[in-house]
Amino acid sequence: MRNLRRITQSIFFLIFLFLFFQTESKGGDELGYPVKIWLDFDPLIFISTLLSSHSVTKSLFVALIVIVVTIFMGRIFCGWICPLGTLHTMIGSFRKKPPATVRQNWYRIKYYILLFILASSLFTAQLAGIMDPISLLIRSLSLSIYPLVNYMTRAFFDTAYHLHLPVIVDVSEFFYTIFKKTFLSFHQPYFFQGIFIGLLFLMLLGLNLIERRFWCKYLCPLGALLGILSRYSLLKRSISEGCTSCGVCETMCSGGAVVDKDGTWRGAECLYCMDCDDLCPYNAVNFGFTARKDAASLNLGRRNVIISLLAGIFIVPFLRTRPLSGSGYFNRKLIRPPGSLDEREFLKKCVRCGECMKVCITNGLQPTLFDAGMEGIWTPKLVPRVGYCEYRCTLCGQVCPTGAIRRLTLKEKEKTKIGVAMIDKGRCLPYAFSTPCVVCEEVCPTPKKSIWLEQVLVRDRDGKDMIIKQPRVDIDLCVGCGTCEMFCPVKGEPAIYVISTNESRSTDNKLLLD
Amino acid sequence: MNRRDFIKTTLIAGLSVSIPINLDSLIGNLAASETVDIAVVQGISPAMITTAAVNAIGGISRFISRGDIVVVKPNIGWDRTPEQAANTNPEVVSTIVKMCYEAGARTVKVFDRTCNDPRRCYKQSGIADAARNAGADVKYVDERKFKNVRLDGLALKEWPLYTEILEADKVINVPIAKTHGLATLTLGMKNWMGVMGGWRGRIHQRLDKSLVDIAKAIKPTLTILDAVRILTANGPQGGSVNDVRLLNTVISGTDQVAIDSFGATLFGLTGDDLGYVRIGDQAGLGVMDLSRLKIKKIIM
Repeated sequence: MRNLRRITQSIFFLIFLFLFFQTESKGGDELGYPVKIWLDFDPLIFISTLLSSHSVTKSLFVALIVIVVTIFMGRIFCGWICPLGTLHTMIGSFRKKPPATVRQNWYRIKYYILLFILASSLFTAQLAGIMDPISLLIRSLSLSIYPLVNYMTRAFFDTAYHLHLPVIVDVSEFFYTIFKKTFLSFHQPYFFQGIFIGLLFLMLLGLNLIERRFWCKYLCPLGALLGILSRYSLLKRSISEGCTSCGVCETMCSGGAVVDKDGTWRGAECLYCMDCDDLCPYNAVNFGFTARKDAASLNLGRRNVIISLLAGIFIVPFLRTRPLSGSGYFNRKLIRPPGSLDEREFLKKCVRCGECMKVCITNGLQPTLFDAGMEGIWTPKLVPRVGYCEYRCTLCGQVCPTGAIRRLTLKEKEKTKIGVAMIDKGRCLPYAFSTPCVVCEEVCPTPKKSIWLEQVLVRDRDGKDMIIKQPRVDIDLCVGCGTCEMFCPVKGEPAIYVISTNESRSTDNKLLLD
Repeated sequence: MNRRDFIKTTLIAGLSVSIPINLDSLIGNLAASETVDIAVVQGISPAMITTAAVNAIGGISRFISRGDIVVVKPNIGWDRTPEQAANTNPEVVSTIVKMCYEAGARTVKVFDRTCNDPRRCYKQSGIADAARNAGADVKYVDERKFKNVRLDGLALKEWPLYTEILEADKVINVPIAKTHGLATLTLGMKNWMGVMGGWRGRIHQRLDKSLVDIAKAIKPTLTILDAVRILTANGPQGGSVNDVRLLNTVISGTDQVAIDSFGATLFGLTGDDLGYVRIGDQAGLGVMDLSRLKIKKIIM
């Protein structure tokens, strides 16, 4: 059984990794693989989105499959399928000994987290993604671990390449080509907060060294949700006559479901790894379908439940009472991906999985810290100086699991404004230094250029006339893609930059009277 | 297109080059091919006119020898489709690749340092697929392969250029004819921006001279200007088919200044209107004055 489980876990983990690597453009309009399917299957995202925004995308309904399976068979998702769970299993295998201290009631923490999340969702905040395991895994890998792996691999092969030694370079380039075709990204990805997000993730993995599957036992809100759903699960553990209360199952239980030497079983905690079945020296443990009731029911303590729910309710106004959060003020640097819903609706749906940032062809989509308020932490924003929004690319809307970024057709995309470009005349070469430069106009992607050149007669220092072309922005045409900002040759602060004003998704964030 | 189709096309192209005029021009054609400076071929099929344009200036074997490593450098700068005429016509590119292999080239490389994301440019332009099908080695530009080259030019002292173009035995420039905000038009010489490394945006400050500096450093074996579709406004990127004019023309020659000078006429201008053509002529890179050139026009 153990090997069967490990093989199953590995297969699902490899599927996860494969789809993760495929979350990258190959030049076509579509990716060709259902890269967000793990998020689609996630019941926590399904339920919290339903609560917060009262609507879910069609693709999210596959999460019902996991819900139904859990109702009948308990948390087998946690033990056999969840890629983060598998990662924890792998790291946890380095911890040979059982934990030094018994954390008797810690398992309740994850239920409190869940209740907190669901209560806040009901009051229109979407905080599930911060701790949802799938979302957390994709975000951490995308924004931190994967860039790190890429950087290391590239640095290694670049070093080998620059040795200029004939055989070594051939061999290293051979492997480099293979790696580039398999798991390396096309461009080296870079993300703000990569260190922060990465350290959090590594810390969570590190907890396995204190206690195996610490996260799954004590913290995971999805595990808690599935635990509650598994209350009437038919697949149950039973113990036969042969049990000598030796306690092997208790010490080896990776979910903290077996709580004493007698083998009392908490069904909601069981990960269905079935190790106890394998390890029992008397072969007294059995898993089978039965309608019998659990030996131990879930007891969370009424007071703590109420506190968790209240905390979830109060966090919403707590996050939202901040200066400049009302309508009429818009953070000019908060340039949302094309197809994003109006900010309020956007925040109700975005689960911060990082898929859009992973797939962004120019690396321009970056995680926010406080640009969208504390509530909007790790939601995507475009930083044009890092990467502009590719005019004919619609990938971010294609990978968004919740529809926070709508899927746009190419035609819609070309009309969607995410901001508008502003020229800083004090820095712009033709304006400030009478030096020719048309880069912003050249790279402007709208079919009728949104940046046009005005021929102007200026005078140089000696009073001599000269004709120069000065760029001007056509505010009706500009879509705010930021290509001009990225390519502006003025170093440091660019002489042309995009602000969120005029974004299509907002009715108020406009500059001119229509 | 397989080899048989190719031979058929070439034969038809070759025949149609000569037959419509009269029979002794067939002989004249062969004899005179050495002396034609620019061939301008018009016709429906991009493959046929490309073949004819190369044949008219002496045939591919005049330029490509057995075992050569050849770089065919199209313009793949933008995330645009062929109908939008921002990148070189894919059929023109693939035809040239095939011709090079027919002439015995060992490898034909096709690449460009794009402006938009390379994956989208290579794919959406249709060039990557077309060139690969023709057997070309199509790779993205590898940022490690730029090397500082001393130019001591009119504007640029030195600039990183792509080593694969410097190390190639033969280089064929395959630009497309488009408008450009600063250069007025982008034709052959400006296409070399695609082998420049570093922050190219800066050269716009002294664009005309810079272009001459780079063109001098590269000196292509052959320039084949794609004017199947030309972009007459909102260049170099375009995006609207309303700005595209179908000319069904390909222009070939060895003198890049002359080709650009002729290219200007497609837009109702002259070489003299283009700073880099004028400066290129003064610098001895080529000949701007079309009256001093032997130009052969063929309509298929």
